[in-house]
Amino acid sequence: MHPATEKLVSDLKGKNFTLAACDYAERGYHFEIDLAADRLREFAQCLLEQEMYLVFVGGLHVEPAIEVIYQFASYDRPCRVVLRVAVDNNNAIPTISDIYQGANWHERETRDFFGVTFTGHPNPVPLILAEEDVDLKPLLKTDANLKESAALRWVRVEEQPETDEKADKD
Amino acid sequence: METAQLNLEPATDIQHDNRYYLNMGPQHPSTHGVLRVLLEMDGEYILDPQPVLGYGHRMHEKMAEHKNWMAFMPNTGRMDYAAALPYNHGFVSLFERLCGIEVPERAEYIRVITSELNRLVSHHLWLGAFLLDLGAFTPILYTFIDREKVLDILEDITGSRLTYCYFRVGGVCKDIDDKFVTRTREFIKYQRERFDVYNKLVTGNIIFLKRVEGVGVISKDMALRYGVTGPVARGSGINYDVRKNEPYSVYPRFDFEIPLGENGDSLDRYMVRLNEMEQSLRIIEQALDQLPAGPFLGKVPKKLKMPVGDSSFAVEAARGELTYYMVSGGGDIPYRLKIRVPSYSNLSILPELGQGILLSDLVTAMGSLDLVIPEIDR
Amino acid sequence: MPPELLRMIIAAVLVVSFVFLNAMVLGYMERKVSAHIQRRPGLMEVGPHGVLQLIIDGLKLIGKQLVVPEGSNKFLFRLAPLLSFAPCVLPFVVIPFSRKLQIVSMDVSLIFILAMTSINVVAILVAGWASNNKYSLFGTFRSVAQAVSYEIPMLLSLLSIILMTSTFSLQGIIAAQKYYWFILVQPLAFIIYFISGLAETNRAPFDLPEAESELTAGFHTEYSGMGFSFFFLAEYANMFTVCSIATILFLGGWKGIPLPLGDFTGIVWFMLKVYGLLFVMIWARWTYPRVRFDQLMSFCWKYLIPFALANLLITAVVVKLI
Repeated sequence: MHPATEKLVSDLKGKNFTLAACDYAERGYHFEIDLAADRLREFAQCLLEQEMYLVFVGGLHVEPAIEVIYQFASYDRPCRVVLRVAVDNNNAIPTISDIYQGANWHERETRDFFGVTFTGHPNPVPLILAEEDVDLKPLLKTDANLKESAALRWVRVEEQPETDEKADKD
Repeated sequence: METAQLNLEPATDIQHDNRYYLNMGPQHPSTHGVLRVLLEMDGEYILDPQPVLGYGHRMHEKMAEHKNWMAFMPNTGRMDYAAALPYNHGFVSLFERLCGIEVPERAEYIRVITSELNRLVSHHLWLGAFLLDLGAFTPILYTFIDREKVLDILEDITGSRLTYCYFRVGGVCKDIDDKFVTRTREFIKYQRERFDVYNKLVTGNIIFLKRVEGVGVISKDMALRYGVTGPVARGSGINYDVRKNEPYSVYPRFDFEIPLGENGDSLDRYMVRLNEMEQSLRIIEQALDQLPAGPFLGKVPKKLKMPVGDSSFAVEAARGELTYYMVSGGGDIPYRLKIRVPSYSNLSILPELGQGILLSDLVTAMGSLDLVIPEIDR
Repeated sequence: MPPELLRMIIAAVLVVSFVFLNAMVLGYMERKVSAHIQRRPGLMEVGPHGVLQLIIDGLKLIGKQLVVPEGSNKFLFRLAPLLSFAPCVLPFVVIPFSRKLQIVSMDVSLIFILAMTSINVVAILVAGWASNNKYSLFGTFRSVAQAVSYEIPMLLSLLSIILMTSTFSLQGIIAAQKYYWFILVQPLAFIIYFISGLAETNRAPFDLPEAESELTAGFHTEYSGMGFSFFFLAEYANMFTVCSIATILFLGGWKGIPLPLGDFTGIVWFMLKVYGLLFVMIWARWTYPRVRFDQLMSFCWKYLIPFALANLLITAVVVKLI
């Protein structure tokens, strides 16, 4: 492990954030962590101090509450951190756009697509969607499609189905 | 004008008494597509540029939740129309990693060669358009001559010139032939000579240098806070390239450099991209030398069964880091596909970058960011 | 009808048709030269090598609707193209095309020409103001500031020639270049004059008033049809005027090696020299990027004006000593 990554893990541990290591070869990122909404800003601040940049902020509509997914990475070593934060009862989550200015647009986009409110956001207006479509929330699932958060956690399917000879003719 | 909604509160500063608003776009020659920038200005100085997005929004992420990988494949080529193959690359690699599909070596080489050709084409387009922003009309036609040559080569094997859908899970859809190899080699030779032309026409020009030096400076700290990647970050001296940092495909086998800038101004970004073109040529040259024989498409199950859970795949697109983040609930249709596009973060820097600079400099700075608006709007 | 009146009517018709013809030739030349600079064939469709294209373009522009934007000052909006076009015709009245071909020979021809070309700024000011468009207004700001600034080095560089010849008459200046062209003794003045001329006519790399990538089309953004084409004609007429002054003052005017063309020799040489300079202007436009506004201004005030003044001073001293 890269020394800076080790430092990151131990520093975060000191602040009571436990990163769970993932298999990069399978999942394309190194650490994952679930957090409560009230600790999000503290975590983001820690990562900024460790010179991690924000890759994206995205939403995920699951039961029981919408999750906001953050991915952070480093410029000088392979180290990706995925952070999941569930929104509270009012569909709200604190903003990190004052810590990571790049989050500003990502949060506005997530607000467009999922209707998540980012409390403290300096400019909460639609970014991608038109202002009249503010109630559209296109990425929300219908009840039939909605899944439990726990049902979407990583499970490795060990056995792939047999290779089909005709597959490449499709 | 919806100033209140865009949070452009009147400045209390008495100096900014004469401010007014100027709408740049969505139909403006230098916004390259349908970007609108609402400028709060004082004379020719910009106080606050606020991009207004969404004119080209197609909701690819929603479409991904309704299609299997094969049906979504063409969508990946329609985000960044100037360099679609890296988008193909990231998407198929995500599935291959998830489902544990072996890709024949030849296919990976073909992917690298075509992706790098595509990056070259994208930089050609940027070079011409950037100079057009600066008011030089001729370079774009010179770069388009070169661009056409690559597009002709790519058209022969991929079947399209712009919105490619060439890669498949497990390989590529058509093998390259000797004609492709010879034409590409000829092109590499030709392109190397063309750099002299670019340098004579553009790089050495005193007016050009005066226009770009020190304009639109992005510091390392700023880049970090905004998540800027690609040539824009490298122009600021950040040694970050997904091809080196998190190597994918067969990139580790090639010897190439990551050009870096120092000051983070428009000139540095220009030089970085120009040097990247040369590095792309180097990669293609080596890949052609090493090109192994063998199948171009591996054995792939007819219906992919993805494991449950989330995974991520990052590639270096022409404009920076492209990340596909997929949450799968099993089956062959993603539960959620988040696409992180490089231009999005690169453009989000504009409100800070454009504060207090001249309108002409804003045009320069925007041109040097190399924006593709449909990619941002998705 | 008195012969003098008849002469004036014929002259007026000739001058106006020359302005149109010049715009056509220059328009064709610009598009062909730019095409070849950019390695493409350019106009090819209408007539052999597209020579008739500009006629078709002219017809198209005449047929187009003149859209007057809402909220504009309609009177001024319509007046501006005429204000731009009318004064740019007048310099042709005093330009000596050859020893004999000069409609009116004035003692103050040079001052007359400079006065007339300056009016163009007013037209641009009116056009930008009346359009009620921020981009137009921008173009106007830039254009007025630019034209006012660059007139100074332009006049200073011409003054050094005036000091040498002690006359404002164009024929007199040509006659003074009996043995050598003034470009040989005043190369700096020529360069300063030519750069200022580029700026005065809003040509690249000083085409800020109509900077396409910044201001869409600058002061004539809102103009269509004949409104636009009058600006277009005026621009080309002004280019011709600037180049003909350069030819007369620095390149010996209509003088040249005798050709077996009788009285036409002068016209041929004059036109060759003027169009040669115009070619340089077009060449520069399709080669260089545009300068920034503050660079444009500092170039004028920090370099051109001091050099022009120094040149004038040296000329005055030398003339006095000789």
